[in-house]
Amino acid sequence: MTFISIEFLLFVALLVAMYYVVPHRFRWVLLLAASYLFYATLSIQFIPLLLVSTAFTYVTGILIERQDEKRQKKRLMVMGVFVLVMFLGWFKYFNFVNDSLRAMAGLMGWNYDIPYQDIVLPLAISFYTFQAISYLVDLYRGKLKAERHYGYFSIYFAFFPQLVAGPIERAKKLLPQFKAEQRFDYEHVSYGMKRIAWGFFKKTLIADRLAPMVATVFSRPDPTGSEIVLGTMLFSIQLYADFSACSDIAIGTARLFGIKLTENFRQPHFAVSIADFWNRWHISLSTWLRDYIFIPLCKGKKKRHQIYVAIIITFLISGIWHGAAWSFVLWGLIHGIYRVFGDATKHHREQLASFVRLDRTPELHKWINIATTFQLVSFSRVFFVSDSVAQAFHHARLYVTPSSWAPTGMLHALELFSLLDFVVFLFFFTAVHVFQYIERTKGSAWDWLAGRSTLANVAIQLFVIVSVLVFGVSSEGFIYGGF
Amino acid sequence: MRSLWIKGAVVIGIVILLLIPLNEFVKKSWAYNNNQGVLVFQNDPSSLDIINLGTSHAMFGYAFKPLGLSHLDLALPSQTIEYDLKMLKQYDEHLRPGGIVIVSLSQITFSNAEIGRKENYYQVLDREDIEPVSAFDYYTYASFPALHSGSVYTALSREVRDFRWASHEPWVNKGENYSKRKYEMVEAQYKRAVTNRDIEQNKARLQEIVAYCQSKGYRVVLAMEPVHASYNAYFNEAVMDRLVHQHLATLDLDVPFLNYMADERFVDEQEYFHNPDHLNGKGRALLSSLVYEDLKRLGYL
Repeated sequence: MTFISIEFLLFVALLVAMYYVVPHRFRWVLLLAASYLFYATLSIQFIPLLLVSTAFTYVTGILIERQDEKRQKKRLMVMGVFVLVMFLGWFKYFNFVNDSLRAMAGLMGWNYDIPYQDIVLPLAISFYTFQAISYLVDLYRGKLKAERHYGYFSIYFAFFPQLVAGPIERAKKLLPQFKAEQRFDYEHVSYGMKRIAWGFFKKTLIADRLAPMVATVFSRPDPTGSEIVLGTMLFSIQLYADFSACSDIAIGTARLFGIKLTENFRQPHFAVSIADFWNRWHISLSTWLRDYIFIPLCKGKKKRHQIYVAIIITFLISGIWHGAAWSFVLWGLIHGIYRVFGDATKHHREQLASFVRLDRTPELHKWINIATTFQLVSFSRVFFVSDSVAQAFHHARLYVTPSSWAPTGMLHALELFSLLDFVVFLFFFTAVHVFQYIERTKGSAWDWLAGRSTLANVAIQLFVIVSVLVFGVSSEGFIYGGF
Repeated sequence: MRSLWIKGAVVIGIVILLLIPLNEFVKKSWAYNNNQGVLVFQNDPSSLDIINLGTSHAMFGYAFKPLGLSHLDLALPSQTIEYDLKMLKQYDEHLRPGGIVIVSLSQITFSNAEIGRKENYYQVLDREDIEPVSAFDYYTYASFPALHSGSVYTALSREVRDFRWASHEPWVNKGENYSKRKYEMVEAQYKRAVTNRDIEQNKARLQEIVAYCQSKGYRVVLAMEPVHASYNAYFNEAVMDRLVHQHLATLDLDVPFLNYMADERFVDEQEYFHNPDHLNGKGRALLSSLVYEDLKRLGYL
């Protein structure tokens, strides 16, 4: 059962009805059963791993809290994090490390005979492992108390709306919401349904409509530079639509139960710098990396170059978290370099803007920054979407070749796609931008919508639902579901 | 609370009202009905002289009924060889002893690992034969196809198929553009198949089909349908050797292979083709008569 299915909608509708009928003291049983059932329909073979990880983190958390000495707490926390990372490492990174060592041994002429292992990546392991780590570290830091109720703790680990692809939540935020008695609230339910519908809209009308177009470009034996430029920019749009749709559905579904999840996106493609981009893209991961990697790495470090090293390491971890391949490591490295370069040249760039009098036209300056940031982000995604490092470098070279940007080449590249598909995509892409424009100018599009007449609300809802039914296409799963 | 229910009821009501004509529209579409021949046969089965398997190339390739043979076309668009076997096993009980099975080979036979539209098989195969499929999808498709993601759009695309780039017209540039695009798609698919080890699996399945037919006493013939010269220029001998023939040779199958791909009776005759790799009615009639004669020559008829 994937998010984009009628089964999921029926499952959620039934669950919501039961949730508000069942007395509060039994609701955790309902949510937990639903979460495990949901996970089982997607990946039943890894239920035991989920259960073991949950039990291990629960027990370790209590043990950490019971220790009197800070040093003992730390030792247990480090041990707990190590075991969780080992789980993740075995399933996600064993073959990556093994292949890399084999390649290195080949280069050095060493004998290396550990064979490739046929390991399947457990669904959602990257997400729930990060939640577990944040729980143990926060306990050690004294930011929260160990959860004694095993049921609530298990829901924190496996809450089905956000289990598969986040947002990565903190126990401090989520656990109290599970424990609080949620009453049926019209606003919550209405908002949740709209958010789910909007997720379906972005996924079936933007992301999955673009998916075959992008695949066409990157599966071609010898794509032109213009095709790579166009394909990469479309991939950027696809990735955003896909992942933000997943977050929309997660946030909307959780809200039906009265649970507020963290917003994961704030129009990242309108960021004015790379630093700004990371405040808007996959926010729950960015803040996780900040709190549990970057800040500890910066502890006691004051010199600028030491901070830059911490930034690079943080982005390398971000890259490797996304996928066990050198292309993802390079993607992370590129963002680390962007971030360091952006910080190191900030003063000079401001001086340059002043010199060319861009500071006198702030609106133009802003849009130049937005366009530049989008291009930098898109360029890095060449590494995200390519199958291998060699292919990524080839595509990256094509991306930066000036002739790849020739308008005639770009127009010709468009003909790779079906005209109907492209026109339909453009129409709905415009609709998404109208929504984003309202967000930028009115604060919240949802609040703006709530202030319209009932007729306008019904018309917009009908537009969304009918568009999905008539023009929606769907592939299996979400891109980030694979991480 | 009350307003939520009223609004919800209004929205759902209007959506249902819109779904009724959409549903009818999908039910009349080509994509929904391209398994119609099999469905008609299901309702009124008869003893069969000949069955053909394959992809759209075969689907547009054979019509033996005008030649007096009882024929069932089990080919569907982008059908994998795995599904060829499933379709054969589902319907071969109607094939008379010693009946003929045409296994159509195409450029994608060994590289294709994904069926085109799973929905095509909901009514013609048993549920357990179809790769993971939801109960909702399986049981509602026949009556409510509009509820299925992409179905309305697929039907709509067919209706407005003339809305396309000039360069995408099948015969523009004498079929060269179409053939080049198809070639690039097939090359990309072949590359994926090599990485995913699909070729070995498909070879094993072809072997399984032949062994199954032989165990049942059917007479098997491999066949490759004709293509237009523009298509043949891309899928020339060297390319076809790499995509198909080298793999076929390693199987060492003891069955005849009727290869019409570059047949000169078709290759330069655009009048026989709907597009560079699919025959039209006239081409289908000619190919069927040629196959009929060849089967007679082989002593199969």
